[in-house]
Parts: sequence; structure tokens; C-alpha cells
Amino acid sequence: MRIGVFICHCGSNIGGTVDCAKVAEIARGFPDVVYADDPMYTCAEPGQAAIEAAIHEHRLDGVVVASCTPRMHEPTFRRTVERAGLNRYMFEMANIREHVSWIGRDKEANTNKAAELVRLAVEKLRNNKPLAAKSFDVTKKVLVIGGGVAGIQAALDCADGGVPVILVEREATIGGKMAKLDKTFPTVDCSACILGPKMVDVAQHPNITLYAYSEVEDISGYVGNFTVKIRKRATYVDWSKCTGCGACTEKCPSKKTPDAFNEFTGPTTAITIAFPQAIPKKAVINAAHCRQFVKGKCGVCAKICPTGAISYDMQDEIVTEEVGSIVAATGYDLMDWTVYEEYGGGRYPDVITSLQYERIMSASGPTGGHIVRPSDGREPQKVVFIQCVGSRDRSVGRPYCSGFCCMYTAKQAVLTKDHIPNSQSYVFYMDIRAPGKMYDEFTRRAVEEYGTEYIRGRVSSIYPDGNGQYVVMGVDTLLGEPVEIRADLVVLAVGIEASKGSPQLAEKLRISYDHYGFFMESHVKLKPVETNTAGVFLAGVCQGAKDIPASVAQGSAAAAKVLALFARDKLESDPQIAQVDIRRCVNCGKCIRCCPFGAIKEVEIRGEGKAQVIETVCQGCGLCTATCPQGAIQLSHATDNQILAEVNALCQC
Amino acid sequence: MPVLKGKELRIVGFLCNWCSYGGADTAGVARAGQPTDLRIIRVPCSGRVDPLFIVKALLNGADGVLVSGCHPRDCHYAAGNFYARRRLEVLKQFLPVLGIDDRRFEYTWVSASEGQRWQQVVTVFTERIHKLGPAPRLEDAEPLLKMADMALTSLRPLGTGQTAALDQLKEAIKAKLPELECVIGWQQGYDGAHTVPLFMKTPEDVDKLIWGPFNVNNPAVYLPSFKGKKVGIVVKGCDSRSVVELLQENLIRREDVTIFALPCEGTLDMARVNQTLGRYSKIDKVTYDEAGVTITADGKEHRFCMTDCAQGKCYGCTTPMAVLADMRAGQPVKVEPGSRTPPELALLDSMSLEERMAFWRGQMERCLRCYACRNACPMCVCRDFCVSDSRDPHWMSQEDSTREKLFFQTIHALHLAGRCTGCGECQRACPVGIPILALRQQIARAVGQLFDDYKAGLNPTAVPPLLGYELEEKNIHERDWK
Amino acid sequence: MSMTRFVTSDGLPGLLAFLSQNGRRVLVPVEKPANKRSVVFEPWSKGMPFTLEKATVPPKAAVLPQSETLVRYKKTKDPENPERVTMSLDDSMEAQPTVVFACRPCDARGFAVLDRPYLQGPFADPYYKARREALTVVTLTCPSGCNTCFCHWVGGGPSSPEGSDVLMTGVEGGYVLQAVTPRGEELLAASSLPDGAEQFPLAEAARKAAWATLEPAPDIKGAPEKLAALFTDAEFWQNWTDRCLSCGACTYFCPTCYCFSITDEGEGLSEKGGRRLRSWDNCMSSLFTREASGHNPRMLKAFRMRNRVSHKFSTYPENWGAFSCNGCGRCISNCPVCLDIRAIVLAALNADQATAE
Repeated sequence: MRIGVFICHCGSNIGGTVDCAKVAEIARGFPDVVYADDPMYTCAEPGQAAIEAAIHEHRLDGVVVASCTPRMHEPTFRRTVERAGLNRYMFEMANIREHVSWIGRDKEANTNKAAELVRLAVEKLRNNKPLAAKSFDVTKKVLVIGGGVAGIQAALDCADGGVPVILVEREATIGGKMAKLDKTFPTVDCSACILGPKMVDVAQHPNITLYAYSEVEDISGYVGNFTVKIRKRATYVDWSKCTGCGACTEKCPSKKTPDAFNEFTGPTTAITIAFPQAIPKKAVINAAHCRQFVKGKCGVCAKICPTGAISYDMQDEIVTEEVGSIVAATGYDLMDWTVYEEYGGGRYPDVITSLQYERIMSASGPTGGHIVRPSDGREPQKVVFIQCVGSRDRSVGRPYCSGFCCMYTAKQAVLTKDHIPNSQSYVFYMDIRAPGKMYDEFTRRAVEEYGTEYIRGRVSSIYPDGNGQYVVMGVDTLLGEPVEIRADLVVLAVGIEASKGSPQLAEKLRISYDHYGFFMESHVKLKPVETNTAGVFLAGVCQGAKDIPASVAQGSAAAAKVLALFARDKLESDPQIAQVDIRRCVNCGKCIRCCPFGAIKEVEIRGEGKAQVIETVCQGCGLCTATCPQGAIQLSHATDNQILAEVNALCQC
Repeated sequence: MPVLKGKELRIVGFLCNWCSYGGADTAGVARAGQPTDLRIIRVPCSGRVDPLFIVKALLNGADGVLVSGCHPRDCHYAAGNFYARRRLEVLKQFLPVLGIDDRRFEYTWVSASEGQRWQQVVTVFTERIHKLGPAPRLEDAEPLLKMADMALTSLRPLGTGQTAALDQLKEAIKAKLPELECVIGWQQGYDGAHTVPLFMKTPEDVDKLIWGPFNVNNPAVYLPSFKGKKVGIVVKGCDSRSVVELLQENLIRREDVTIFALPCEGTLDMARVNQTLGRYSKIDKVTYDEAGVTITADGKEHRFCMTDCAQGKCYGCTTPMAVLADMRAGQPVKVEPGSRTPPELALLDSMSLEERMAFWRGQMERCLRCYACRNACPMCVCRDFCVSDSRDPHWMSQEDSTREKLFFQTIHALHLAGRCTGCGECQRACPVGIPILALRQQIARAVGQLFDDYKAGLNPTAVPPLLGYELEEKNIHERDWK
Repeated sequence: MSMTRFVTSDGLPGLLAFLSQNGRRVLVPVEKPANKRSVVFEPWSKGMPFTLEKATVPPKAAVLPQSETLVRYKKTKDPENPERVTMSLDDSMEAQPTVVFACRPCDARGFAVLDRPYLQGPFADPYYKARREALTVVTLTCPSGCNTCFCHWVGGGPSSPEGSDVLMTGVEGGYVLQAVTPRGEELLAASSLPDGAEQFPLAEAARKAAWATLEPAPDIKGAPEKLAALFTDAEFWQNWTDRCLSCGACTYFCPTCYCFSITDEGEGLSEKGGRRLRSWDNCMSSLFTREASGHNPRMLKAFRMRNRVSHKFSTYPENWGAFSCNGCGRCISNCPVCLDIRAIVLAALNADQATAE
């Protein structure tokens, strides 16, 4: 081989604590190195041009750049060598900035270490082989999981871009959490009024197929070619016949069914349509509470239904869809705040969650939009809001900020005053986080115009005073004084957590999720909607706390990624995948058993069973290579010999 | 280019690209000062790190090896680090048997955001290695020649009384023979004290079948070569575990194999018999009774009681009866409850790390790399494609050094991790009597301790532990880096 | 009568001390680790325990090491022009004067078998030649045969002098040393041992007695033709190799197997430099004949065993006029499945010619 080595000074970033010229001089002594230089900035245009020139002038067939981390500029330099006619995999990097110059002060040791890391890269490169990507067809259809505002936005943008969309929603209606809100900050406009039209668009869009009351059962395949199994849960109502007239819900005798849509603030019927603007506006029977199912007789809805849509013997149905890309937009749930014994642990009827309060304030809610106490139906005069209930609290394992509670609490205080002009709201807070456009102004309005009293401090206990009020004991940390408020109603700004089943879905999607179940993006800053599984994108709170504008933006961003992906008719597969040497393979099946992606299958080649890698499914982890005892399956670009060359370069005594 | 003399020691790191390499980058970006000893090899995933890379590094001059991957549940490849965790933990428990201080190897999890944690890990680990000093080298050890004390009590009766049921077994084989390609068993070899595998194809062949303490060979070694054909096999208890392990790994199919079994009362350790007879004697006559055998050699009678001269593995055997069989004959054998450390392993347990290294130095010197150990192993599935003599991958050189020889034993032992049933054929087959079974026994012990007392080859439907994982490992714990 | 000397049993360490004078390396059988577990030849040093047991591993490595460096190569780069690489080769070899002490007649005959291809062919192997010329073989005659020996089938015997320089025979109270080559005479003459003429008749009697312990040898003169005829009889070979495990015990413990392979290890530019190694190879391994394309003419172990047996009893005799097996029996005693080469040769001799063709 003819290898060229470039030791980057990175200004003084590397050159300050590494003798780059010396490293280049040492590198000239390495096997197959015919050229070495130490440019000031290798990644800059002149630096890249110098690499290209050296490739031509010295007929290099491999290049090592020693500079910053390959996680930064490996793609850059791969393109550089490619421009000069080399295969992009005939390139290696030595990280002498993050791993050398920035962490060690001893110049002699740094120089020696840098030279050794270059040696490592040279030895690896000497075992490299040119790799070529293969291309494959794309199914230009997208699956959006979750019909909240983020999923709706992603679905609509994709559909408008001409891509068929499969939208899967776990609940009976799309709309998600936003559909439950009364008003939205900072404009205090009606949530249903701005979301409603979008939901209708979803229902009417020719490119969108909606599976409501459905869940993703299984996902297989790979970018461009996923196969998705969707479980359509039994609704016991034939939706092709149901007109959403609501006659059944009026006559249903099971009137004490818990109402999940209304956050259990009031009862509903066993057959129900979630809310007036529901999409699809179809009835669903809650079998756990329906007399027909519980007692085996009733049949009222079946008798009343004008179209004969009721079907008590309906079963779950599995449908299969082929898609090329997936957007996960599964949103969030509230954490179980009843772990807070000091707030009553859920025993006090007038200590409620902020989302329950939204339903109480909502005109389509159980009280028709009148703010009353759940316990006695009285209008509250003093309302205490407590923030950060299950946010930024390590003691309950929720160290993160839920992001939007500060804002909606201000909104709820404002709305309380609107509804009940003589009321007084108090907000216990830790810090006010209002960084969005018009956000800080809004919280100030709550204080200045609406007289909301903000108390910086935590609440230590809530207990009933015996006269129908609650004593809220807290401390004002600014004044350093204890605070005691007699409240009629306490609203908890309960922190969010990843929606139930997120880890299970992540495993189906083969994406990672963090400690709390939120899905991991590919890069915190630069790839916020991508995941590490090609073709799977994220939108909304499933990736981490965010408010409506951010969720909508991310929904559009995910759609843009899908559309960009589908702009190509063929996709290129990453050639850094496992390959089977069929001469060595004895078909022991250990690789097949271990592969986390199901990317290896058994095939018959001239009468003998052999392992075969499905190139587009393999993600390149190399677990199979470490598993195969005969070394028959090798991960390209990280083969045993390549890693052994590195080990041997370091350990040669 | 060596380490800086007096300043640095040789420390090799294997870091996964997605988390720990990023974590090291984050530490760099934060200018988190670290010792300069560590050299990082970037791998896609901690699951890519074959434990043999680590042994290779440690045998070839590394003073310390550190592996770091994504935190469990946070693997870029979903499960790579779950597998790594099991394999690396087993390795950690294996290293001391070679005489390598397990503190010289560590594995941990560092995410891409944990620059501080990475700084902590590198600093603590480097300090630890400096405290341990330069690693002792195999070549520098003065060979230590010790033999295991075989004075043993047994967990079950040892003897030769089960031959009574042999005729019944023969009838059963003859009845089944027309449906089978052949039935594998034992026949007499070149004299009465040597028994060799027998491939029964005709009823006359069945008459050659013998049963007794000389049936040392494990006939399961031949089964994979018959894959897809209907065969029968006569097994001792230990052989049956090999059959089960082969089933566990789908290397043979249950419907293809007919298993004939007699309860085993132990097999003779010919190495110990030869201590009395000499290796090159003329054996004239061998007679059996309930408790042992009498061998007439060079005109002299010698008595070998099974309780004194069985193979080391037999004393602690808890499966004298086949764990899986289609046809059984003979009287059931009782096993006393209890556990025991095999004698060769007990010998190593009693030694210091330095002594163990010296022990292997002394033992491996006489290895000729004939690979009888490997080829006699029923679980060595690679057969003609062993990495020991391949150039791609090029794990081993052809050099005649104790290091390469010991490295091969490590390859074999680690490839058998969680799969070795302890049949001991490797050691028995070794013509120069190197007690290599101890290496496999150490791993089997570690696997048992880590994974709910798991023993290979007992349950045909069990997943071998290193081919699976649990999200939460009961007995593997994250290290403290304070 | 050739020169004889006598050494008492107690005098053996003294004899070894004499043999190790003048920088000679004396390879003696040593029990490793103990209790006859294995007996290997190792360089003797003063005070070192040794044994006179027949060794598990023959002393072949004295002339043909398991792995030897043929050439060391070191590359250096021109610091001015890294494209210019110079390579220095070092093919010097040490052939330390060596005495193999107390090997058996079969082992000594092994050297004679190796000599033919390595020294008497069109090319003499310089590495082998240098070691062989520096080698003196002091052989202990066998007191009796054993269950795996068959030296007398193949032209040897418990006191065969072929390949030896000195024959040593145990008698009452000590050993008679008899020089059987000029080199042996030279060696004995230089020693201060007393003359052994008086004890020599005892030695002759012991040798005769040893012969008497042997079973009569079958006539295997016809083996070369019979085996050649069986070359195409795959069934014959398959039946005889069904239990073979394809390991290398038979060949690596054989005093006459001499195949090797050559590999380059290490990098010329590393500190250690690169080495071209010659290592024992093993025709029982599938790799032995695997071609670069992946094709393998000896895919089955049956064909590999056919090669081994045929080489020893058919093709080598055709080329060199003698069997290349010396009947030491180590391939039988060290085989994990006791595969018996005697049985195969006898079966070949008795094979029905009609089925063979």
C-alpha cells in the first residue's frame, strides 16, 4: 500500500500540546507510509485540497488523518478522499485532539501517544478493503404512530407531499393530549378550535389511512421496506355502519363508566364517543363496563342503533402494511402523582391534576365549562397551583423538567380569573421557565393583570381543615417565611413521562430509549428527529418534553425527513455490514441466534446450510463476529484482522 | 514505539463508537485532564469486542485493558452490550485461572454525554494499573510443575457392575438398527485396557459392543457429522450431556438421534493407571469385578479400584444416568447431593496468581499443538475451520511459544464458555497430559455462579447463557468508579 | 569388535556431565510434570532429574524443530524518503552440537528416515543438515516390546543400531555403551568410562532376550503394492477411519513425519521484525491440502489417512527403498481413539484384490 498521513495542528488545539511535526516524522517510519505532513487546519478547504493533491502526486491508495474525533470529520474526509478517486473506506482517523491534546498536558507523552494512535490507524488501514454500497427499492409509504398534534402534523405534511400515510392511534379518536385542553398559551385561543380543522383534514385527506383504536403489533424489515402488523382492537361497533349519531350513548344504561377522555372527572356511558369533535366520530363499547359483556344481557345499543352497527362478537383484527419509513409520535402520559403522600396521595377529591382542570374548564367537559369543585360542585374562590409535581424531583426519579407546566399554569390561573372574577390564584413554583416567544410576557400578565400570587417555594403538606377547605402549608423561600393558604381547590402541575408502552415500542422499532422511556434521537443537537435506526423518525413529546409549537415543528421536521428519504427511488445500504465467508461457515447458527436485528438467515448453498446476512437489515454492530467461533462472519471495516492489527500495534512484546 | 518508560504503562481501551467513544470525546471537549496511558481502539459496539482480543492484549504485553460501551438498555444496536456484559464478566472471572490479575481488566458503561464519568473511569483505572505495576509475563515465570492431588471421595458409587444389563441393551440396539444408519458405541481396542469407538451397522457389530470403565471416549463427538441422518448413540451420563448441548445449539436434530443409555459407574483415568503400568507395557489380560479391574501386564497382576483410579471428573459427576435417553437399561444409580471442586481446579485455586502463571508456563511448554484436545471435543463445531490455523482471521501465529499455546487453550475455553459440559475429553486426549480441563472448569464454575447454577447440557430447550441475556442481570453489577 | 564402555547406574549423571562438555546440548528424557504423565526430551543441566523411560514425544525436534525461524527480516526506511525501504535478512542459524541421550532404537531409526528426503534428495536442506551433522545419538536398547510397538515389522528391532552412534544396553549394575559409528567411537574414546568388553556379553544376552519378547512379525513386504492398489477404494479407507478425529497427534508424535508449512509472522518494520517460520504440518488436517480456491483434494479424513498410511508404507518405500514407519507405535498410543496403523496395513494386505480394483 501507499499511505499518506496528515497530522493536523488544528491551530493550537493540537499543536499546542502535541509536536505535530515530530508525529509526522515518526509516521514516515511506519509500514507503507510514503508521505506524511502536518498541515495547520486539515479540515479547512486548503487542507482538504492538500490531501487531494497528495493523493494524486504520491499515488496514495490510503489516507490517515490525525486530528479531531472521527465522530466529527470522518464523513468530511471520506468525501475528500473520494473526490480524489479513492474508495471512502480507504481512510482512517486518529483522534489526537479530544483523546490527546485536550486531555494531557505533558507534551512528550502526548506526542508519543499521538504517534501511537497514528500507528494504530495505519495498521488498521493496511487491513482495509474498498467497500461499495448497494442500492435497493423504497416503498414510498409512511407509518405515523400516534395521532396527537405532532403525529397529525407529520401525517398531513407527508400526505400533502404526496406520500400515502398510515396513521395509527391507540385511542378511539385522534387529537391526543391537545384535544383535551381548553385553551392554549400564550394566546389563550381555543384548543379544539385550532386542532379541530387539522383533525378533519386527516379524516378527509385522500392520502391518509387512519387506524384508530389500534396499536402497532410488530415491525420487521428495514429502511425503505418495513412490514408493519397493526392490531385493530375490537370496538364492538362496525365503524363502516356507525354514523356517530350518538343515539346509543344516550340510551346506554351503564352510566357510571369511568371517562378516560375526561381524565375521570365525571362518568360516561359504556358505549361512547369520546367528544363531539372526535375523529373518527364513531362509537366504542367499553367491554369492561358494558352490561352485555359483564352480565351477558342488555343489548340496548344494538336495539337502538339505526344502522345495526353494534357487533358484540367482534374480534381484534391484525392488518399488515408495507411502509418505507416510520414516524413515532407517541406523546406522553402524566406520572403517577399519588406517590406524593404530602399532597394527599390521591385521597382528596379537590386536589386534582392540571389535565383534569383542563377538562373541568372545557366547554365540552363534564361540567360544561363551569369551574366547580369535584367534591361538592361549589365554585372555588381560592385556587392553589403547585408546580413541578413529579418534575425536577430526584426523590421520585424524575430529575428532568417537563417543559411546559410553567406556561400552562399561568394560563390556568388567567382562565380561573376569567371564569371566576372574584377568585384568587396562588402558584407555588421553583423557577419560572418561559423562554418561548411571548411566553415571559404571558406569565407577567398572569401576575400583573390577573393578580396571580406567585410564591417561590415548595409545598410541604396539604390537609383538609374540616370545613370544606384545604390547608396548603408551604414556604416562601424568597422571604424565608412559612406560608399557609386555605384553598378551595388545589391543581397539581403533574410532570410528564413517556407514554405507557414506550420501551416496548422502542424495541419493536429497534431504537434506543433513555432511562425514562423517552426515545433517543440520533444526535442531541444536529439530528433531533432522526433515530439511530435508519428510516425511523421522531416527532413530539415521545422524544422529550416540548410544547405544542415545538411538537408541531418537529412533526413537520419528521415529515421533511420522510419526504427527503422518499425523494430517491433507490436507497444505498451502508457497506459496513457483516459478511459470511461461506467456506468457513459451518452453519452452527450462533450468529442467527444473537443478531439483535434478525439480519441473518440460514440459506442452502449447494446442499449445505450456511448463514447469510440480509444486507439491508444488518446494522453493523458486529455482535455476530464476536460470536462466531470460526471467524466465518466478519463485520466489514471492523474485521477480526483489522482489530487484531490494532491490538498487535499496541501489544507487540 | 513503546510506552514512555517509567511514566506510562500499556493500557488498551475498546470503546463503542456510539456512547463511550463519544463520552471520551465529551471529556476532551471539556478539557477533562486524564492520564496519558490509555490507547483507544474504536469498535462499533461493545458486543463486537471478542473477549479474545482482551486475552490477546494481556498475553502480549498489555498491563491493563478497559472496555466501555453504552449503558444497558441504551445500546445503539439494542442488545449488543447485554451480550457483552455476560461475555466480559465471564472473561473477568476466567482470567485469574491463567494467573492474570482480573483487576487488570475492567468493563464499564459510559454514555456520550458522560465526559466527567469517562474522566473518572480513566483516572481510576490508570491509577489502579499503576498500583499493580507492569504485568508479569508468562515467559518470565519459572516453570512450576505440580500435579493435582487426586485423593478423592465420590458423590456417587464407582464400580463396574452395570455390565449385567449390556445384553439387554444389545437387544434393544439390534431391534432399532434397521432404521438407523449406524449406532455409535465402544469396542475393544488393541488390548483389553483400551476401548475405542465402534460404529455398529450390522447385528454382528452390535455383538462387539462393550461397557465398562475403559469406555472413556465421548461418542457424541461424531454426532454432528451425521447431521440429517438417523443414527443411534450409546451414552454414559456425561456423553448424554454433550448430546443435549448439541440439541440446545441445533447442531443435531432430536428426531434424528436415538439414545441408548446405561448408568455409568465411572471411567478409569488411564494416565493414573499408567503411573503403575508405565505407558509402554504389554497388557495380557483384563478382568472386571464390581469394584474395579485387574490388569495383567508384563506378566504381573495389578489391581485398580474404581474409587482410586477414576477420572477426576467422575468423582464429582452428578449425572451418571443419561439426562436424555430413548432406551435405558441397568440399575439406577444414586447421586449424593453436594458440590465438589474438580481436583485440577482445586490445585489452581490453592495457588497464587504468580504460581498459576508459572504452572501454565510449565505445562504448556510440552504442548505440540497436535490439537487432539480440540478434535476430541464434542462441542468444537468448527472442525476443519478452527481459527487456530487460519490466516484470515489471523488470531494465532505458528510460533512454538508457550504464549501461543496457552492462547489457543484460551480460545478453546472461551469458545466453550457456557457450552462445555465438562466431559473432559480435551484433557484425556492430550498425549502429554496437560490438565487443560481446569480452564474449562473454571469457566463452567463462573457460568454457574453468574447464571442461576446453569450447567450446560441438561435441558435441550435451554438457551446457552452466552447466547442470551437478561435486561437486569442478577449477579452482574456495575463497578464503582470512586 | 566395536568400542565398548561400561557405566554404572549411579554413573549416569557423570556421563551426562561429560556429554554436555564443549557446549554440547544433551537432550534427555524427562518426566513432565511427574509420574510418567508424559516423558519429553529436554536439555539436561547438572542436577536435573531424568528418566530412561521411552519418551512420549520422540526426539525429532533435535533436528526438525516444531517451529524454527528460517529467516529474520527487518525493514528500515529512509528518513528522507519514506518510499525507500531497505530490508535486511538474517538467515543465520545455530546448530548447537547436540546429543540425544537414551532415545530408543525406533527413535534413532527415525533420524535415518528423515535423512533421506532432507539430505539425499536433489537438494540438501541446509537447516536440517547443519543440525543433523551436529547430532550424536546415544540410544538405549529396549528390554522388551510393548502392546503398541512393532519395530520388527518394519526392519527395526529392540536393539537396531540404525541411526544411532552409540547403543546403550541395560545390564546388571549398569549399562554397556557400544559405539556403532565413528562418531560414537570418538565420543566414547573421549570419555573416562571404563571399558565394557567384560559386560558386553551380558548386553548381547539382554538384547536377545528383548527380541524373544516380541510376537512374530507378519510379512508386510507386499504393503506398497497392496496400498497402491487400494488408492481408489474409498470404502476401505472410510471404514478404517470412521473414528478418526482428524487431529494431529499421530503425525506430531511420529519420529518420521517431516512435512512442514512456511508462514511469515510479524512486520518487518516492527521492533521484533518479521520472521519466516517453518513449522510442522499435519496431513491429517483438512488444511494440509486445502487450495487457495477452497477446493480440497483430500476433503475426507479417509483420504487424509490414506495419504498418511500410503506415504509410510507405499510411496516413501517406492522413493527411498524403506518404510518410513519405524514401528514406534506412538501414533497408536497417543491417538485419542487408538486408531491402529498396524491394523490398517494388515487389512490392506488381506484386502481382496478384486474389490480393490
